[in-house]
Amino acid sequence: MSRGDGNSGFPVRPAVGYAPGGAMSDDLPLRRTYLQHVVHDTLVPVASRLGLAWVVCLAFFAVTAPFIANSHPILMQEAGRWSSPMLKSLEPADIVLPVAAIAAAVLLVRRKLSAGQGLGMVAWVSAVTYAATAWPSAPQYYATLRGARLELMSAWAAWTLLRFVGAMVVMMIVLLPIFVLPRRATMVAGACLAPLVVLTLVFPVRPPELVVYERYRQKEGSGQITFVLRAMVPYSANDRLRDQPELRLTPPRRGHPLGTEPNGADVLSRMIHASRIALSIGFIATGIAVVVGVIVGGLMGYFVGTVDLLGMRLIEIFQAIPRLVLLVAITASYGRSLYLMMAVIGMLSWTGDARFIRAEFLKLRKEDFVQAAVAAGLPLRSILFRHMLPNGIAPVLVSASFGVASAILLESTLSFLGLGLVDEPSWGQMLNQAREGSGFNWWIALFPGAAIFLTVFAYNLVGESLRDALDPKLLKRE
Amino acid sequence: MLSYLIRRILLIVPTLIGATALIFFVMALAPVSITDALLSREGNLQPGERKAREEYLNRRYGLNKPLPVQYFRWLNAISPVGVKEKGPGFPASWKVGVKWPDLGNSFKQARPVGPIILEALPVTLLIQTISMPLSIAIAITSGIWAAKHRGKLQDVATGTVLLGLWSLPVIWVAVMLIGYLANVHYLKWFPAAGLHDPRAGSMSFFPGHGSAGYLLDSLWHLVLPVTCLTYGSFAFLSKLTRASLLDTLGADFIRTARAKGLSERVVLYRHALRNSLLPLITVFAGILPAMITGSIVVEKVFSVAGMGRLVIDSLLAQDRELFLSVATITLLLQLTGFLLMDIAYAIADPRVSYE
Repeated sequence: MSRGDGNSGFPVRPAVGYAPGGAMSDDLPLRRTYLQHVVHDTLVPVASRLGLAWVVCLAFFAVTAPFIANSHPILMQEAGRWSSPMLKSLEPADIVLPVAAIAAAVLLVRRKLSAGQGLGMVAWVSAVTYAATAWPSAPQYYATLRGARLELMSAWAAWTLLRFVGAMVVMMIVLLPIFVLPRRATMVAGACLAPLVVLTLVFPVRPPELVVYERYRQKEGSGQITFVLRAMVPYSANDRLRDQPELRLTPPRRGHPLGTEPNGADVLSRMIHASRIALSIGFIATGIAVVVGVIVGGLMGYFVGTVDLLGMRLIEIFQAIPRLVLLVAITASYGRSLYLMMAVIGMLSWTGDARFIRAEFLKLRKEDFVQAAVAAGLPLRSILFRHMLPNGIAPVLVSASFGVASAILLESTLSFLGLGLVDEPSWGQMLNQAREGSGFNWWIALFPGAAIFLTVFAYNLVGESLRDALDPKLLKRE
Repeated sequence: MLSYLIRRILLIVPTLIGATALIFFVMALAPVSITDALLSREGNLQPGERKAREEYLNRRYGLNKPLPVQYFRWLNAISPVGVKEKGPGFPASWKVGVKWPDLGNSFKQARPVGPIILEALPVTLLIQTISMPLSIAIAITSGIWAAKHRGKLQDVATGTVLLGLWSLPVIWVAVMLIGYLANVHYLKWFPAAGLHDPRAGSMSFFPGHGSAGYLLDSLWHLVLPVTCLTYGSFAFLSKLTRASLLDTLGADFIRTARAKGLSERVVLYRHALRNSLLPLITVFAGILPAMITGSIVVEKVFSVAGMGRLVIDSLLAQDRELFLSVATITLLLQLTGFLLMDIAYAIADPRVSYE
């Protein structure tokens, strides 16, 4: 696959195989790949553009959450000394996300790399940034693990997991540039990252352990702070306004455009921070589901026979268990963790993808080009993922797009039932607070609920348009 | 067909065992053991007392046995075929044969699981049997309407509205409905919780004697929960109906029917609609299990003591036997649903064959 011609890693499908109604218009250069055609057709309807715009907007909020909504001032002068409490309070994730987002944006605009290389580049940049920012917290993690005060697993398991994750990050940093990424792009990205890495080595990222949010307001009130530049929403998600207990559970008012929740925290700030959880749960859970579904479905479709029979039983097992029930079972017995939730939602949602891939592979394995690949003695990995997968991935894209929506719904339902995360804000958990207290807190019901609805609606709009672009008869095949 | 059927029915068994094993071990490997969870509910116990209770619980429910042993004991208890009696010697004195499945005892309520389920089941069945036919009826009607106006404004508008309805989270709708329509501060049109008035027991069935009567009272309580359950499923069904009807309307036999001069009504309802209801069979696979776990959220929000509440409560209390029983019944219904779906396809469409 040559670099530099805008090839996104998907082979051009023969013209016979691709003929959705009216899509082959004259203004499209025929050199576009199949995937580029699909993306083009998907973005024609206004509805799907609106949906995508909402998702992009949400992604913006998710990436910049600590810069938009934070109790720590961006810049302040206290007794003649300038400081930036916000920068000091940043956590590794707060730095990794914007850096990864910038890398992704640059790659999207410049289009020098293929899709796989682009993903690899973003992953590499994230891994480097994460390693640079997270190393100061490693001793702290270690201390926690030694203390064995973990609900989720034994100290030994947690310690092994930590070492495993660390080894993975190091391996990604070393192996990706060697095997996947083009040398020049890596050097450019590395040069851009170098100042950041140096900066994190000089000023290690060490968020304060004890945070007293009201300190700034009190100092400002007493005139100790002479100059202060605050974030747009000057409240953190967990700032419970301990200095203003009278503001607990108030409807929208000046300073709190969306009101406050029963603990006193600002609803708008919590909603902005919650967009992180919604987006990450949607993407990562669906990513896990797609990977598992592609592997299981691909093996079933390629090998048929016994593998198919066993795989079908596995699919039936996972399909027969109601997802919400097993999810509740796991969170109820293993404690609440974002990563656990992502993994479980992903592991419960792959059956549809596997069925689609299996159906596609059953058709593809008889095609000439697959036979030719087999005859040429290519390794199985190459036959399955290089030759068959790009030609059979289309239905999975549609189901993934609906899958993101359903993962977000599932997470918010779980949080609504009181089984989601405890301290971290989530839209579903906020919705649950609408009935706390004496009456009906309409502002807590309306805004987070609308956010869930709009996000799910946006993904469904994009998914439907994608389905129409791919094949009008797609869903009826199964 | 018969051999296919037999094979499918036999394949239910390994699937069921796999699924229950998955659920069992997921629950059993939890960091907080069931004994601890049960004892923590009994408040502060003296060390000696605690030990005695622990021993009692372990002896009664076999909780200190190795996990695979616990699982196979449970599996044997609920299975209609298995070990009936255990004699002292293995295996000569064990009686194996057909027996009555035993669902076990609820750890929390300390009584058999069967009656607990039988108390909760009618409540969920009532809600579901009202909402399901309702949603199917609305779905087919609106699907036909959208297909009739294909490509026009009505079709596009219905499509978007339906997609919107489908995306509306039940949790939000339920909270908003209760907040605005069942709230003294706004409109107190409907009751906020439960399925009956507290005084419903003393009411006459039909209206009269100064009260609304049991029937009207129940219907009044059912409006909001049934609304919440209905809207999402009918949106999905309606899109399915529309797509399949459009597919059929493009077929040759419809052109023939029109060409021989049949009225549009006859073409639509007698020729096209009947042939396009086929994909709706897929939906029936989901109806059976939904009778049990389809309304978890709605039951929770409206404080209805049905199966959904039972599932959540049993999980939170680590009431393993109760949860496993409910889960097994749901699984069985779901697998039966899949089987019935395939059979229904073969019956409804002569082109489908499983030979």
